Amino acid sequence: MNPKIREDFPVLKKGIIYFDSACVSLKPRQVVEASNEYYEEYPACAGRSNHKLGNKVTEKVEESRNTISKFFNAKKPSEIIFTRNTTEGINLIANSFDLNGTVVTTDKEHNSNLLPWIRLKELGKIKHKVVDSLQDNTFNMEKFEQILGEGNVKLVAIHHTSNLDGISVPLKEITKLAHEYNAKVLVDAAQSAGHHELDVKKLDIDFLACSGHKMLGPSGIGCLYGKEEELKKLNPFMLGGETVKESWIDRYELEEIPHRFEAGLQNYSGIIGFAAAVKYVDKIGRNNIHNHEVKLNSKLTHVITGLPVQIIGNRNAEMRGGITSFYSKMDSHAISLILNQSNIMVRSGAFCVHSWFNKHKIKGAVRFSSYVYNTEEEVKVIDDFLNSRLLKMLK
Amino acid sequence: MICILALVVFGIMGIFSATHRKLAKEAFDCVFRKITFRKCHTGLDSRIKSGITGRILKFSPSIGNFTFKHFESISWIFTIIMIWSVVAVAIGGYNFYVYGNCNGPVENPGFCIFDPQGKNDVTGIGFQYDGPFVYPRIDDDPSLGNNNSKVEIIEFGCFLCPYTKKAEATVKQIISDYGDKVHYVYRDFPLNERHQGSDLHAEAADCALEQGKYWEYHDLLFQNQNMTNHTTVMIELAQQIELNMTQFNACFESMKYKDEVQKDFEDGSKAKVFGTPTFFINGDKIVGPHDYQDFKKIIDKKIRETNES
Repeated sequence: MNPKIREDFPVLKKGIIYFDSACVSLKPRQVVEASNEYYEEYPACAGRSNHKLGNKVTEKVEESRNTISKFFNAKKPSEIIFTRNTTEGINLIANSFDLNGTVVTTDKEHNSNLLPWIRLKELGKIKHKVVDSLQDNTFNMEKFEQILGEGNVKLVAIHHTSNLDGISVPLKEITKLAHEYNAKVLVDAAQSAGHHELDVKKLDIDFLACSGHKMLGPSGIGCLYGKEEELKKLNPFMLGGETVKESWIDRYELEEIPHRFEAGLQNYSGIIGFAAAVKYVDKIGRNNIHNHEVKLNSKLTHVITGLPVQIIGNRNAEMRGGITSFYSKMDSHAISLILNQSNIMVRSGAFCVHSWFNKHKIKGAVRFSSYVYNTEEEVKVIDDFLNSRLLKMLK
Repeated sequence: MICILALVVFGIMGIFSATHRKLAKEAFDCVFRKITFRKCHTGLDSRIKSGITGRILKFSPSIGNFTFKHFESISWIFTIIMIWSVVAVAIGGYNFYVYGNCNGPVENPGFCIFDPQGKNDVTGIGFQYDGPFVYPRIDDDPSLGNNNSKVEIIEFGCFLCPYTKKAEATVKQIISDYGDKVHYVYRDFPLNERHQGSDLHAEAADCALEQGKYWEYHDLLFQNQNMTNHTTVMIELAQQIELNMTQFNACFESMKYKDEVQKDFEDGSKAKVFGTPTFFINGDKIVGPHDYQDFKKIIDKKIRETNES
């Protein structure tokens, strides 16, 4: 990775070692500038007002939609719906899709892709089935097929890359198999969108949700991709400004997709910043990013393997992308707080995957998650700290 | 245990800062849960423990490791110290309220640092003398050591001050160790407002000086400092060292050295003496009955300086 990249991230000048990108990534200057541009140059509303500023915002928002649709190789820009984040995208499907059947998830979904389905199950609207992972936390295709074979599966809601252990599921095989059983596939791409090549057409994905803040973009913006024909079938659960072509006192006529799903005034600054982030990621290349992360993670895994800790998931760093999580006898929060005193920033706890920790009776873990701005030198600092200062405490 | 400490510390800091007020609330919640035998669920104890350990680790892994492993015991120690301090302050406050002195009902209340009524000020005259500082001279007061020594030690003392008495042993050791290398002078600074009759002791000592027995009398006055009937005691002490009592009585009764004592006091005031004993050693000032080592450092330095010059 070009070391000059780090110059784009002003916060790194503070001397921090940031390994919590799976939670929120840092923002390059280009993204901040693009977001600010909205407030400084055309702080108006899109799709409503026909003055110069309004037209400019409309143009910028649709340009951003186009950029993002190309990023995922969607058929049309209209297949991209702007949301606040992945959670909102998944909830949009949970509340708009005519489910009336079984929803399948895995046993290590983020709360965002678990709680909406539990809620629907409790309301009696769906059945919820779980594909338990294999011993090394990888996807259990056999079990998946078995559940599909039990019939009436309407939706497979699955993460692409787990925020727990960084392991990615074989999306192509999953969508292929799900479609054989007439089930649709909703992908939680929060952890993969900015790290892996994601071609929704090639992978034949029906719905995909992601967040800008995990891929160098601003907070409070994300998107939901949906195949055009699938989006048209959805019944929007949130209505309001810009979602209808016309309304009367007793009825309304829905707007075309994607606008019918974007109720109320949107986060225009976020949308424009999101597109800038997508361009930034594209410029570096997602394969390059993935390779960089794997390279760092291999070194980090080598360091962590020598400690008295247990790595979550497969020990092969290549299978875990840019994420390494581990637990030990020592409290995970204590580890992260101690690291924080030396400006090493990591995540601790259950990472919103409480269900997995409760199932395995593990209190919590420490997660290192890297991105484009991390370096081998930083891994060396972490190595030194863990081995020379923290080792005795971990025992 | 750390939560109790945190509650006190953050509680005080919370008076001035909203951030610490929030932490104080967390600490209170934590303490409340612990005294009701429940686990602290705010994580404050863990955050403090890790925060402190993390800071120490940067400098010393072994101390950091020790702190982390024995944090609870260390917290207990500090909590006990804190409780002890609070109790001591409470007792001091009570004593002050009841007896007017934080040391309580003792014969000699001594110096009380807690002094809201300004009683301590009676020992000092710095507030009374607003003129410029004037470094004191040897004058014609009684002295020991070598009159020609360039290292001059001038003490302003009060015969009824317990701190001056405490410093006596140190002074004697200085004279014994340094002999001719220093010139020590005792000047009177009677703190009459606090130690009534101390000016009379000073005058009596000067009357003894007249008969060449100043230092014997000086020592006896300090040895008998706690005796209350000043005049009777002074006469008895004069008899003990076999002074000519007719001469002594005439000297004492005529207040022969009143002006001399007053001059010493005024010179001390001009030198900004605010309590006794106060020592001046070639420009340096030591207030109170310090350890011998403190004096030694300064005297050695002054001897070096005078040898070099």
